[in-house]
Amino acid sequence: MANTAVLVNEFGKVGLDHHLLRRADEKTVLLEHGCVCCTTREDLVYALLNLLDDEDKGRIPALDRVVVETTGLADPAPILFTVFSHPVLQHHYYVERVISTADVLNGHLHLDRNPEATRQVAASDVVVLTKTDVAEDGEISALRARLQRINPSALIIEVPFGEVDPDQLLRPAADWNNSAPTPEAFVVADGAHVSRTHSTSLTFDGPVDWAAFGTWLSMLLHARGEDVLRVKGLLDAGETGPVLLNGVQHVMHPPEHLEAWPDDDRRSRLVFIARGISSEELIGSLEAFRRIIGARPRLLEANAPV
Amino acid sequence: MCVLCGRDFVAQVHWTNRHIEDKARVSGSDPLEYQRDRRRDRVHRAALTNEVLRHYGLRVEDWSGSKYLLRDKKGRSEIVQDLGALWPAAEKLAGRPLDPLDPALLHTLTEGD
Repeated sequence: MANTAVLVNEFGKVGLDHHLLRRADEKTVLLEHGCVCCTTREDLVYALLNLLDDEDKGRIPALDRVVVETTGLADPAPILFTVFSHPVLQHHYYVERVISTADVLNGHLHLDRNPEATRQVAASDVVVLTKTDVAEDGEISALRARLQRINPSALIIEVPFGEVDPDQLLRPAADWNNSAPTPEAFVVADGAHVSRTHSTSLTFDGPVDWAAFGTWLSMLLHARGEDVLRVKGLLDAGETGPVLLNGVQHVMHPPEHLEAWPDDDRRSRLVFIARGISSEELIGSLEAFRRIIGARPRLLEANAPV
Repeated sequence: MCVLCGRDFVAQVHWTNRHIEDKARVSGSDPLEYQRDRRRDRVHRAALTNEVLRHYGLRVEDWSGSKYLLRDKKGRSEIVQDLGALWPAAEKLAGRPLDPLDPALLHTLTEGD
């Protein structure tokens, strides 16, 4: 964790070099035709540009990483949008991962009451379970199962007494699919309740045409972006390695065309976490686009709404 | 657009074009090969997109390798930069939402299968 700067919303009593700990008050700028996810966080732009400037002038050591600690109710999408779209930031920073914490004692309550909590879990690559040391085993496994249903692609880890190995939090992105469903797993969705968040995991029966898939996905995000809380996965586009897709609402990470597959399984694996869109609708649409996309979709797993 | 040289600067490469644009930034890459790939990709993309736009009575074509020209059957047109800008412009010309989950569009796409 050396050479890591931390941006926080409120000062806490953290024993860090003050040069590397900055306060960034939330300040958002809504863009023209902007939905909530496509807003720029001006505070973050200012703080990140300042860090670049300080690093450049030698006032702080060369940085390897910046950790942005948001408020508990922050929507992660505008933060990602800010880094991807700012003309300077997009060339100096990339988003490594989104980490959220879930309190085992109150997690269910937050998920029931605050839609932001579900959005945060959907946008996460890693979910850290806290207060596991004071919870019953049943509570831990119930929350873990619920979080995994919301986001099958997230890595969920437990942190008793707040002790965590930084390597565990900051593992390479390619191992995201550790917890992804296997083709054998098949759960029939509860199609009656599509108004709430649920996830769909799918694959294709062959390589897809990347340009065509991009056409379909960009059209879907245009029409339903606010309801597509997350798209994540590896896509077989007929190249030597897969395309790593990662998007939160309208905000897509720049897709990475990887050199090689992370394991022997060379099939596409995609997870969609959506609100009000059923697995049948997604599969039906991809099925109709099959001639353009060049492969047929296959449902791997559909989770009932949570 | 730059008033001195007449070129417009695209600050944001749309994610669907990233793989082609990133190739150009790799040092030692062949600029001719990049141009060929890019042109091929644009023509291919326009053809694919037209399969979808057909349902809405619209057509898109590559416009001098830098933009796309979107037209409807009444002769109205819009110039767009990429797929990110295409869908809102197409929606404006079509006068109705463009949704890949719309059963009527899916029916058109599977006609004749």
